Amino acid sequence: MSKYIEKISRLFRIIKENGGVLGSVRTVFRMEELKTGTLVGEDELGNKYFHNPMYFVGRSRWVVYSDAAGHDYDGSQVPAEWHRWLSYISDETPDKADLPKYPWLAKHTENQSGTPQEYVPYSTTRPKIQAWKPKTEEVYRKHF
Amino acid sequence: MASVKLFCARASAQCVLRNAVRPTYVAQERSCYKQVGKPEPDMRWKPIMDRASQTVFWTELFSGLGITLGHIFKEPATINYPFEKGPLSPRFRGEHALRRYPSGEERCIACKLCEAICPAQAITIEAEARADGSRRTTRYDIDMTKCIYCGFCQEACPVDAIVEGPNFEFSTETREELLYNKEKLLNNGDKWEAEIAANLQADYLYR
Amino acid sequence: MLRLWPLRQVVSSAGARFIPACQKSTAPEPAPELVEVFVNDKQVFVEPGTTVLQACAVAGIEIPRFCYHERLSIAGNCRMCLVEVERSAKPIASCAMPVMKGMKVKTDSPVTKKAREGVMEFLLMNHPLDCPICDQGGECDLQDQSMNFGSDKSRFTDIAFTGKRAVEDKNVGPLVKTIMTRCIHCTRCIRFASEVAGVEDLGTTGRGNEMQVGTYVEKMLQSELSGNVIDLCPVGALTSKPYAFTARPWETRKIESIDVMDALGSNIVVSMRTNEVMRVLPRVNEDINEEWISDKTRFAYDGLKRQRLTTPFLKDANGQLMQTDWESAFLAIARKLQGVEGSQMAAVAGGLVDAEALTSLKDLMNRLGCETLCTEEIFPMDGSGTDFRSNYLMNTTIAGVEEADVVLFIGTNPRFEAPVFNARVRKSWIHNDLKVAMIGAPVDLTYEYEHLGETVDVIEKLAGGNHPFCKVLESAKRPMVVMGSSCLQRSDGSALHFMVSTLANRVKAASGADAEWRVLNVLHRVASQVAALDLGYSAGVSGVREAKPQMLFLLGADEGAITRSDLADGAFVVYQGHHGDQGAQMADVILPGAAYTEKDATYVNTEGRAQLTRQAVTPPGMARNDWKVLRALSELLGVTLPYDKLQEVRQRMAEISPTLVRVGEIEEANFFKQAIEATKAGKTSLGKEPLVPPQQVLKDFYMTDSITRASPTMAKCVQAATEAESSVH
Repeated sequence: MSKYIEKISRLFRIIKENGGVLGSVRTVFRMEELKTGTLVGEDELGNKYFHNPMYFVGRSRWVVYSDAAGHDYDGSQVPAEWHRWLSYISDETPDKADLPKYPWLAKHTENQSGTPQEYVPYSTTRPKIQAWKPKTEEVYRKHF
Repeated sequence: MASVKLFCARASAQCVLRNAVRPTYVAQERSCYKQVGKPEPDMRWKPIMDRASQTVFWTELFSGLGITLGHIFKEPATINYPFEKGPLSPRFRGEHALRRYPSGEERCIACKLCEAICPAQAITIEAEARADGSRRTTRYDIDMTKCIYCGFCQEACPVDAIVEGPNFEFSTETREELLYNKEKLLNNGDKWEAEIAANLQADYLYR
Repeated sequence: MLRLWPLRQVVSSAGARFIPACQKSTAPEPAPELVEVFVNDKQVFVEPGTTVLQACAVAGIEIPRFCYHERLSIAGNCRMCLVEVERSAKPIASCAMPVMKGMKVKTDSPVTKKAREGVMEFLLMNHPLDCPICDQGGECDLQDQSMNFGSDKSRFTDIAFTGKRAVEDKNVGPLVKTIMTRCIHCTRCIRFASEVAGVEDLGTTGRGNEMQVGTYVEKMLQSELSGNVIDLCPVGALTSKPYAFTARPWETRKIESIDVMDALGSNIVVSMRTNEVMRVLPRVNEDINEEWISDKTRFAYDGLKRQRLTTPFLKDANGQLMQTDWESAFLAIARKLQGVEGSQMAAVAGGLVDAEALTSLKDLMNRLGCETLCTEEIFPMDGSGTDFRSNYLMNTTIAGVEEADVVLFIGTNPRFEAPVFNARVRKSWIHNDLKVAMIGAPVDLTYEYEHLGETVDVIEKLAGGNHPFCKVLESAKRPMVVMGSSCLQRSDGSALHFMVSTLANRVKAASGADAEWRVLNVLHRVASQVAALDLGYSAGVSGVREAKPQMLFLLGADEGAITRSDLADGAFVVYQGHHGDQGAQMADVILPGAAYTEKDATYVNTEGRAQLTRQAVTPPGMARNDWKVLRALSELLGVTLPYDKLQEVRQRMAEISPTLVRVGEIEEANFFKQAIEATKAGKTSLGKEPLVPPQQVLKDFYMTDSITRASPTMAKCVQAATEAESSVH
């Protein structure tokens, strides 16, 4: 019996943590799931990372995408530092792990396919053949 | 005449041998008896009634629905992507990236070993001397639609310049967006360097 | 064996000539008894004096080597060729050891293997591990041999982190890039420079670990053959500067072709990748270039990517050349030609044009009724002129120099007009005691010669038999007279040619040369000339100047022999060619053609040897193969040429002159007597000016045609050579 009481109390706790009934409905609408866990950090984009070892590996770490993303959340919105933790490559969160920080590191961007910022391939080389251009009359007179 | 005699001798020997082994294998055959077909229904009155009531009151249907109902309250067996992600190895071979040295200098020295080893011939490199005399690429194109993600390029690279990073979320809406050039690859490296460096560090003992 | 003066005198006074084993002796010697040698218990018979390495080669076993090169003298300093010889205390250097009777060589024994591994270990100890950025990577002898013969593990740990030996790079000019840390001191480059190229620029300083190869003081490697040290270098110490970092040997496709920068037709390999010529390498042809090519041949390829004509051009109403398409260019020509008679037309062919295009142009113009077809390069047409092939060919052949004993150069500088030929003369001078004399401006030929004078009266004296040098010529067994085509550009060219022919005939008669030996040689400067003369073009543009044509067709004529003032007022000029140069600038219509790496074409070299270029890359943009352009134009002009395929063009060429399709062969031409008889009538007077070849010093060598003028590398060379002239070293 105590097992069921615990489960029901956890349900109420989860609802409370998700901001009451309304908040929980909103969360379910956005994430299709209600979970409880400890907040282990937040990245510069506003994504929150949670951890709860009660769930099995694969579900024990999750990200709540920033409210700025709204319903346009995407898997590629997780920056490199947190990607490592979220994909279980490392157990250390970025603040604990000794990740390199260089001035030339680029800001994370999500997958921009289909947006105006999408990558369009272009050639990085000069043209192979330099074509001749006829000299205009004045230049011709000067040179010959 | 001799051959006929020989045949007779062989036939009689076979007959003797068969008689000698027959008692044993007949016993084995009978002890291995198993019913594999549908059992005959029990045709006494009580079992007949049981079967009829199960059919009439849909008990199997409701017990099945019960299992479904029970699973709503159980922990799901799938992960809720993109909020949760499956575990990756530090060696995971995802989207390519060109790395830089900590000073910001690009690593690639245009040795073209990756181009040579690429089994899908997805890499195209053109190189020339840069103004400072160092050996650099002017073109480093990877056709990601050709790439088979074998990882030979990062194995071949003597300076760890081309790597297959941990990112796999780079699907595109058009095909040409997957024709990566040098700028795109360097930008990938700049975005993912923190994780790439840590992954290489985690794996260095095995390389 | 270098030809150093004191040494040479000692050797000649001793009455014995030492011929190094690497050189083929051309003088007939009595057949010596063969020496029996056992290589890995296999019996082979070789001539005495053969080295162990060559004996092994006869037995089909290749000994690894770095310093040994068959066209250079033996140094024996890399020690890679060590082999075990029975009853020898130590392994011996096989490249320097002559065979002895009954010698038993073991090339696979543990001793040999250990010796090789040891040598390789020492070489690699101070060789940097920078193969990924080394241009030699993939074609490096050190890479290959360390894989084949080196140890599979290294004892080099460098625990103290003292670093490997490092040597400062030397700046030796704009062609050869040096990374001297990679040098393994094989001294091939030094031997090449002093023996073949004849410049004593390279050498070593220091010894042991301090040994360095360099130019002593920082200066340009002042040789027209300097690029060959790149091929000779077994490691990546000397690499090509223009080719630096651009391609790897495994990704290029190699197309065997012919060079057109001079009239020798050196055999080359064009390395191509992604429709771009990456580099040009020599191809072995013992009859022409052995395995050397000149720097112009090797490095002018970047001129093929600059100043190219990629679309047809047409002059608009304002007199400006505008890009257009083929159809409108052809139609413009056809419209202009409607009222023009054949006698009012003329055509001029330049120096880089192939025989197929020359044939098509001649057929086209002839069908239009025009007979004024000439080449830019002048050759005397008086008397027998170009009627006899022997009048305008290098009859002795290039390889024939090795059999000659006296060479007389007249008005030419073979060092820059035909560098590979000059190297051959120098080789003969070193090994065969060749005597060289020269009439014309004194130039540095890299070997010693007797300077007979600068003016033509010396030739007159020689022809008349009253000159001290006549004795030398008459006592010669196989004399050669080589006349440069540059001296025939003068107004008295025909008289000069007649005088030299007379001289050659006199010398031939006086000396004891056999009937087949041919004395008179003409050294041409441009690749198309012999084919054009074979096809019946008249040499020189004087005919055009007389005709004052209404319409002029320039086929690759870029030397400015014809200007607008030579033509009728408002004349219509069509230029067809591959580079935008002087010809294109004066044209009304420009038709873009293909350069020599972009077409299958025939060129005839100064010996009269027809050779084929192969298409390595496609012509850029809308440019097309020249004979196809002419064929298409002929259709619009209503005089369709009767050939559609290359084979059919070549059939037509064979009809005109069968020599044009006998690829790689020389047709003997021996009509000197008839030629001189036919010439006697039309004799003009000789001029008094000295004979001055146009290319006298190194800076004149690099830019001579439309391709080299467009080449940035050649421009850098000219600049470097000009600076080197004024430098104190």
